Amino acid sequence: MTYTPHALIAEVTHRCPLRCVYCSNPVEMRSRSSELSTAEWKRVFSEAADLGALQLHLTGGEPLARADTEQLVMAGRAAGLYVNLITSGIGLAEPRLEALVSAGLDHIQLSFQDSEQLYADEIAGTRAHAAKLELAGRIRKHRVAFTMNIVVHRRNLARLPEMIALAEELQVSRLEVANVQYYGWAFENRSRLLPTREQVRDTIAIVDAARERLKGHMRIDCVLPDYYARYPKACMGGWGQGLILVDPAGVVLPCHAARVIPGLHFDDVRSKPLRWIWEESAAFQRFRGDEWMQEPCRSCERKTRDFGGCRCQAFLYTADAAATDPVCSLSPKRSLIDAVIANAPATDGDDQPPHWVYRINPTNVPTPELR
Amino acid sequence: MSQSKDMGPVLLLPESILRLTGPGPRILELCDGSRTLADVVSALQSEFSDADPELIRREVLAFLTALLERRALDFA
Repeated sequence: MTYTPHALIAEVTHRCPLRCVYCSNPVEMRSRSSELSTAEWKRVFSEAADLGALQLHLTGGEPLARADTEQLVMAGRAAGLYVNLITSGIGLAEPRLEALVSAGLDHIQLSFQDSEQLYADEIAGTRAHAAKLELAGRIRKHRVAFTMNIVVHRRNLARLPEMIALAEELQVSRLEVANVQYYGWAFENRSRLLPTREQVRDTIAIVDAARERLKGHMRIDCVLPDYYARYPKACMGGWGQGLILVDPAGVVLPCHAARVIPGLHFDDVRSKPLRWIWEESAAFQRFRGDEWMQEPCRSCERKTRDFGGCRCQAFLYTADAAATDPVCSLSPKRSLIDAVIANAPATDGDDQPPHWVYRINPTNVPTPELR
Repeated sequence: MSQSKDMGPVLLLPESILRLTGPGPRILELCDGSRTLADVVSALQSEFSDADPELIRREVLAFLTALLERRALDFA
């Protein structure tokens, strides 16, 4: 069986002007001094294209925190890749937006934290909402595909109809309503972010109605929290099967969170060719196919569909990355997820901000002790 | 539209990749921003002159409507 990484996720920096409480970056971040140079990224993009990649997702941190984002867009296009910029938009003035679009940017995904400034700024840990609204108005005047992304959770789901209305008002062609996934900083805040079962039910109904009403004008993609699911998500389409992620320091990972799994050595693009890492490295082969699976996955008919779920989530809850994802109703450890649900507040009716753990920016100082 | 090493012709969307089969790539090639829907249909009807022209019209419309609903294209 051969696998092709159809998309490269380039986490070009962990630096970010926002401090979102659900940031997917690892709690241990890469410092600025360890970041790959422009030339190194260019080489990574062509190596990925040689491997069969078609898309490049420039993300972070905030990719615009680097001075060379325009050059990275150009390099991605030169390698033949479709280039997507995933951004908070903070500080994106008109000349730079123009430069990114002329560099060949195919798509911008602009993140929002809420429809209301007060709550949005609480989640971002800084004043950001007003700048995003102003930028959205400018993006739609350019010839570039435009998605609005709103991360949803217990504290903002009451405003889902207003968030959809905001997307309509901003005339985006695509809206992502993405429940928090509980990794990185979001894992630290999971009991404060997890929606109630009723909120999940309402989300489905509200999104279905909006999809019907907006058909042909706006596409809505919706991610539900897997803690309420019966079966796990096919995380990343399977470990090392279709996606490849390069972190700011050039370490190559099968997903955003994989560094939490101990005992795996992840190689980096400064010392090894990307092709070797994808095809030969032990870490990428560790959870490919189904040889590594235990019961109940090994004999499960769903194993070719969901690949046993998420390896990082299995590790975070069971201390065994080869276990069945604990969100699966067939997992012997499902009670661990049920306990998180049971311990989360039953309502969303708290007006006081909870005691959030805010994301910090990478420094050369060790990460403070959490929890 | 792009060419994949292992999947053949594909249409690249923000967060997904659509594999194009049959006449799909040809239909999208004809959607060049200057042809109208009627132009696209009649071009295909003359290229595939042994197929039922009404069937071609219906299939092109269904294909482009599906792409419109994914917001992969616009009718100007």
